[in-house]
Amino acid sequence: MLNLIIRRLIQLPIILLIIYTLTLTLAWSIPGNPLENSEGRQPPAEVAEAMKRQYNLDSFWTFYGSYLYNVSGAKYAVEELSGRAGQERRAAQEAGRPAPHLTPFDMGPSLKYTDWRVSEIISGSLPVSMALGAVAMIIALLLGMTAGVIGAIRPNSAADLGTLAVALVGISLPSFVIGTVLLLVFPVLLGIGQVAAWGRVQDMILPAFTLSLPFAAYIARLTRMGMIDVLSQDFIRTARAKGVSEMRVLLKHGLKNAFLPVLSYLGPATALAMTGSFVVEKVFTVPGMGQHFVEAVRNKDLFLIIGVVLVFSTMLILLNMVVDLLYRWVDPRIT
Amino acid sequence: MWKVLTPFALMLLALIVALTLDRPLPKADVTFLNRGDVTTLDLQRMSWMQDLRVGAALYEGLVVNDIFSPGMDKKPGVAQKWEISPDGLTYTFHLRANAKWSNGEPLTAKDFVYSWRRAMLPDLAGDYSGLFMLIEGAQAFFAWREKATADFAAEGGGRSRPEEAQALYTRTLAKFNEMVGVKAIDERTLQVRLERPIPYFLDLLAFEVFGPVHEASVEKFQSPDPIKGTLVFRQDWTKPPHLVSNGMFMLEVWRFKRDMRLVRNPHYWNPSAINVDSIEMPSMTDPNAQVLATQTGGVDWLSEVIPDYKADLLGKKKAYYAKHQALVDRLKAEGYDSLAIDRRLPPDPALNIHSFPAFGTYWYNFNCLPTLPDGRKNPFHDPRVRKAFALCIDKQNVAENVKRCGEIPANTIIPRDSIGGYPSPKGLPCAPDPAAIELARRLLKEAGYENPSDLPVIEILFNSDGGHDKVAQAVKNDWEKYLGVTVRLVTREIKVFRDDLKKQNYMVSRAGWYGDYGDPTTFLDLSRKEDGNNDRKYGVSPHPKDNYARFESLLDQARDERDPDKRLALLGEAERIIMEEDVPMAPIYHYCQVMMFDPHKVSGITPHPRQKQHIFLLDILGDGKGADKPLEMPPVKRSDPRSLSVPSGRRRRLSRRGVSC
Repeated sequence: MLNLIIRRLIQLPIILLIIYTLTLTLAWSIPGNPLENSEGRQPPAEVAEAMKRQYNLDSFWTFYGSYLYNVSGAKYAVEELSGRAGQERRAAQEAGRPAPHLTPFDMGPSLKYTDWRVSEIISGSLPVSMALGAVAMIIALLLGMTAGVIGAIRPNSAADLGTLAVALVGISLPSFVIGTVLLLVFPVLLGIGQVAAWGRVQDMILPAFTLSLPFAAYIARLTRMGMIDVLSQDFIRTARAKGVSEMRVLLKHGLKNAFLPVLSYLGPATALAMTGSFVVEKVFTVPGMGQHFVEAVRNKDLFLIIGVVLVFSTMLILLNMVVDLLYRWVDPRIT
Repeated sequence: MWKVLTPFALMLLALIVALTLDRPLPKADVTFLNRGDVTTLDLQRMSWMQDLRVGAALYEGLVVNDIFSPGMDKKPGVAQKWEISPDGLTYTFHLRANAKWSNGEPLTAKDFVYSWRRAMLPDLAGDYSGLFMLIEGAQAFFAWREKATADFAAEGGGRSRPEEAQALYTRTLAKFNEMVGVKAIDERTLQVRLERPIPYFLDLLAFEVFGPVHEASVEKFQSPDPIKGTLVFRQDWTKPPHLVSNGMFMLEVWRFKRDMRLVRNPHYWNPSAINVDSIEMPSMTDPNAQVLATQTGGVDWLSEVIPDYKADLLGKKKAYYAKHQALVDRLKAEGYDSLAIDRRLPPDPALNIHSFPAFGTYWYNFNCLPTLPDGRKNPFHDPRVRKAFALCIDKQNVAENVKRCGEIPANTIIPRDSIGGYPSPKGLPCAPDPAAIELARRLLKEAGYENPSDLPVIEILFNSDGGHDKVAQAVKNDWEKYLGVTVRLVTREIKVFRDDLKKQNYMVSRAGWYGDYGDPTTFLDLSRKEDGNNDRKYGVSPHPKDNYARFESLLDQARDERDPDKRLALLGEAERIIMEEDVPMAPIYHYCQVMMFDPHKVSGITPHPRQKQHIFLLDILGDGKGADKPLEMPPVKRSDPRSLSVPSGRRRRLSRRGVSC
């Protein structure tokens, strides 16, 4: 198990480097100038040039190198080890300024929202997305597994077909439709909850429910298939023959085994849910991270694009590792 | 079985951690939805309208526009009074003694010198740095600093030289005092010398970027780069609790893409002018959610209504007006503007939507270069072709049937009557006027296009969002119907669209502009051949039939003309050349701004056609705080020559730079 953790942690920076290179190459090729205000007065040419130089945007390789130097922690290490950081801190102290922050993994400033650093943007929005994603995954697991078990008990019965139909709807209907309908029904028509509010637990219910539906549908199908498969096996018949209660058969012997495919799906699904959904965040005005994936590309905000992609990739890799660990623990047969 | 529950437990744990990191805020006095998320609160870097609005509430400049006066009068701000030298070059401002920063420190003339010097540094490179170049010596100072830092970096060859970098900055400050015409004569007297007289200089000073920032708190977060020599800015000073401001409000909360909250500045020199204790600006990007939140009472003022159904909401308001026709007619006759009329009608949700004329125009660009980037001959190089196409746009149809929100068909680039005393040219007639169509066909023949088939397929370029496709469709129909040409619509994503515009990779394209200050040059300078916004390249390679030289000389003459009336006449003639003769652009309609608020509850929003909004004037009527009396523009009789209200149906409405993409 320790082996697995070490192996994955060694792979992590290599995978991230490849992802960084690919993302930057693609993002760099987006047409347009990220520093341009698309609706305002264009600054004189010499001002525009000065702006580009500020951010190393005048050459791909300078940008590639300087970003990597900052984000990998190399700059931090060099500054600290050479004593330069200490010098600057003392100088700042003498001049009465706050010391410059040196962060180990500096993701740079946002090009559009110039007052913000990418790390501030992500640390402000990731907890929001994580909270929403967590609630959504709880709802998805509850709904999906219940529906899956009900379906599996009597395959092709009305209950099974009904849950399958609901699951199909959950997968097929886009979340902006479900979200808008929920908004119109609850806060607008019935006066339950508020439009575009965020911060209280009750504000989370509608967006989390919307976000959970496609996951719930998929989990329902995985559970149902797994259950049908497990319930037809010999050890279940043995258990029933021994006179074990049906509930115990289903939950203890059946679900435990049928849960494995669901568990392996949970890794990527949780990473996806917890890093935010653009559509759900937009419809319910949730200040999460999903919006940055789309907005950053639209603005060609290079630092932010790379920042969110790296954070998402890291989460995906780590959550997959957690799932692999859980897997071994839930089912010791796997090594 | 319990192992199955571990994922649930882990999720719950994540949820609890996330929730403890968050805190909801109490309700603010006013909730306002800005046009978009604020990008920066660094005054000298601002250029987006949403930033400028917040900037005006946080920082007060030397002078402030009275947005409820028809002439956008200049009121004293931090400057109590000022004098202008007879040659129009030297301005002396006397600052009020009780002007203070939000931390209680006095505000002095030095603060303005500091802030303006910041704006002139190439290290900062704000979008509006160009405006500061009108001050004596600013251009030369910018160039000097740019060269000095480039030399510094070259000398060092990548070595870190912190002391030398600091010395260079100190030298820069001395150089500024020596070169640039901005001086603090004493604590309370600021003197500004201009390169040349600028009749609208006070209007410019009312523009937010000329406001002051607090030196000590900005300086804390900047230091010269030891390798490049340029200043490195850390923008932490724009966030609470570091931000120190001098306006009516100060910043309490700013959470990225979530919300921003301003609260009353206890040190503001005129506390009785403040009407609310707090202003909340949530970040809400979904257009439908914005409207729903306003309708359900979560938002007091939605400053820009985007969904298409805004036209239907305006239709409902029209129907409500019809129910009270007699009263409405009487109020109109008395010269009240639409907002004042709403306040005098019985309250009804139908009245909560407003469409105000704006200081901006939507037009079509013609590419004026002889050839297109791919080598094809460009028919629009010939001004006769451009004029012919401009004549054949049915603008009434676009305004009334496509846009439907009270836009006014435009035949000038500068909204008529928006600038006091400015003689707008007549402009071209347009389809479906038979004379216009007749003239257009004749012009095409003169230009050598005997048959429509002699012209290539005409391409109209526009960006994919924002409803430009519908306008383009209408224009395509007009041109095909009246001129018999074939038109192709080319739609591009916004970044690609802007790239194509910059490279003149188009024949005809959509465009728009909102004026920044109250002078015709804010629109006319766009057509100067060297201007960064001249995407048409008008005058760069003129056709023999073009009158560009005359246009440019009129602008130059106006620049040196001291008599205001003669100056405006020269500018009016310049606009006539581009609107009636050379036609590098075909105006289609003047923008209007559609917003939502309850006129019986919210005050402080102006219907003035310049559409500059001051959020620091916002007031909730009847809440027992502030004036609690609606702010309104004075009623104007239609016979009054200064009148801004145009006969109904041709009324113009609201905003500086808005929805142009």
